[in-house]
Amino acid sequence: MGLKEKLHNIKEKGQGKKWLPAFSAFHTFLYTPNETTHSGGHVRAADDLKRTMNTVVLALIPCLIFGMFNTGFQHYEAIGEPVDFLSWEALSLGLIKILPLVVVSYVVGLGVEFIFAIIKGHEVEEGYLVTGMLVPLIVPVDIPLWMLAVAVIFGVVIGKEVFGGTGMNILNPALTIRAFLFFAYPTWMSGDKVWVEGAVERANEIAGGANLDAISGETILGTLAQGNEVAYSVSDMFFGFIPGSVGETSTFLILLAGLFLIFSKIGSWRIMLSSVVGALVMGLLFNGVVDAGWIKESSGFYSLMSTEFWHHLLIGGFAFGVVFMATDPVTASQTNKGKWIYGFLIGFISILIRVFNPAYPEGVMLAILLMNVFAPTIDHYVVQGNVKRRLKRLKAKTV
Amino acid sequence: MEHLELFFKAIFVDNMVFATFLGMCSYLAVSKKVSTAVGLGAAVIFVMAITVPLNWLLDQYILKDGALVWLGEEYAAYDLSFLSFIMFIATIATMVQLVEIIVEKFSPSLYNSLGIFLPLIAVNCAILGGSLFMQSREIETLGLAFNYGISSGIGWFLAILAIAAIREKIRYSNVPAPLRGLGITFIITGLMAIGFMSFGGMLTGGDEEEATEQTVVKVEEVENATDVAINEKEIIE
Repeated sequence: MGLKEKLHNIKEKGQGKKWLPAFSAFHTFLYTPNETTHSGGHVRAADDLKRTMNTVVLALIPCLIFGMFNTGFQHYEAIGEPVDFLSWEALSLGLIKILPLVVVSYVVGLGVEFIFAIIKGHEVEEGYLVTGMLVPLIVPVDIPLWMLAVAVIFGVVIGKEVFGGTGMNILNPALTIRAFLFFAYPTWMSGDKVWVEGAVERANEIAGGANLDAISGETILGTLAQGNEVAYSVSDMFFGFIPGSVGETSTFLILLAGLFLIFSKIGSWRIMLSSVVGALVMGLLFNGVVDAGWIKESSGFYSLMSTEFWHHLLIGGFAFGVVFMATDPVTASQTNKGKWIYGFLIGFISILIRVFNPAYPEGVMLAILLMNVFAPTIDHYVVQGNVKRRLKRLKAKTV
Repeated sequence: MEHLELFFKAIFVDNMVFATFLGMCSYLAVSKKVSTAVGLGAAVIFVMAITVPLNWLLDQYILKDGALVWLGEEYAAYDLSFLSFIMFIATIATMVQLVEIIVEKFSPSLYNSLGIFLPLIAVNCAILGGSLFMQSREIETLGLAFNYGISSGIGWFLAILAIAAIREKIRYSNVPAPLRGLGITFIITGLMAIGFMSFGGMLTGGDEEEATEQTVVKVEEVENATDVAINEKEIIE
């Protein structure tokens, strides 16, 4: 008797037991379920929710691995003992720092999901597969694990489960988790000390009187916001050899992942394209303001405004947010016209926040959350518009 | 520029609902359907656009310390600002009556769906809040007061519109029974406020912005002003 049949037998015996949802989650993860729906419409499709989610996770893996190399690379660069990017030293440090983040994210998040599934007596939902992978990629590498755990619990319970679970949430859970961290523990989430492994500890030791050089690992946006020169070349920005959250730095890999998502028809190309257009328009507007001389060089906004408009796509978390978060099918606009508006505003507002809001160097997270709030409104008006147009057409026909 | 800044600030940065959490009662109660929410939101914009400038006039020429000086020198010492609550509420209540009469005449269906909440606009804290903020933030001209009234109203309108659309969307969600209705609405409001925090802190450190408007002649003056502003900021912190 094979494993498949054994599992199936266990499932038969476990009918009505409390632990069944938890068990069948593992079961369906390994094998396609051997049941069909009993009522309602039937749609035959090769991809179910789990496959969809796995595709996104697959697209995220290169970013994760790159993030591991980059963590080590940035660390050794900052302490003045540079190593090769593709070296074991870099990778091993990255593994030690990042694997715990992934494990905590999945264990805590899936734990909450399992508890809710058992209480509510329904199947475990797959929604956390992607969120759990996104979370470690959008936090600074040095974040304490307990903070991550608290934020994950908040994000999954308040951001998702209270609305009824996967597919019902209003805000993107991964971004809810990040926003929680950002507002609850700002010292761990922003500034120039958190983006390189070991920088915070080093700063504390120096404050305690140790004779060491401080590590400065400012992100490009942080540097620009203070009006300083950026030390990285455009190709560094594009390929991602820069400090930042774990998985967001390599625009190149994110671009590949984006193409992969578009070709597998899982990410919406409308949202990605319109976000990029929105960001470029805003960037061009600001460049125009600078060219027209409406802003003085002494202004605090000058250096971010004068950043070439297409650089905005390469620096910060813009690319990552647009490809993986803005396209979240649950919280984005559902209608095609709505997707254009939604994406455009995300790009537009994130650059606006970047340049004009001194409190936040990066605006993508909050721009996406804000547009998540307004996505149902956009959809409502798009749908109403369609209804009105059709009514008019109908009237014209009957007359 | 000044107008634009105030407009943007009142809608997004100091949003009535998400930054100051005012006007929650009707915001929570009338946000089940988008169409009614739009109706109420429009009524709030209208009432605020009239009451804030009216109250500004009252404040400038009757209530403020020394405002009565136009009656004659002997009145210069009077400070009637302790009357502002009563005066503001009286203006608002009158205006709401007017709106009620107009809505009943022109849109009976909206009148019926708004029900008790239309007269209750009179005690909508967002509207009194608008007038009081106008007073405490010392808005300088009638035009700015009008702008402030309209834009705060629009901010409130956007908030109720967004939550109404969200509530329509989650109508069929499997929300846990104890949270259905108001409970989940409170949670949504909190999450929406996180979204609106994207604008928090914007335009508050406006030193540089002011500097950009000044002509070159005034540069020195502006630098002094900036110093003063920075000092003030430090003192506050």
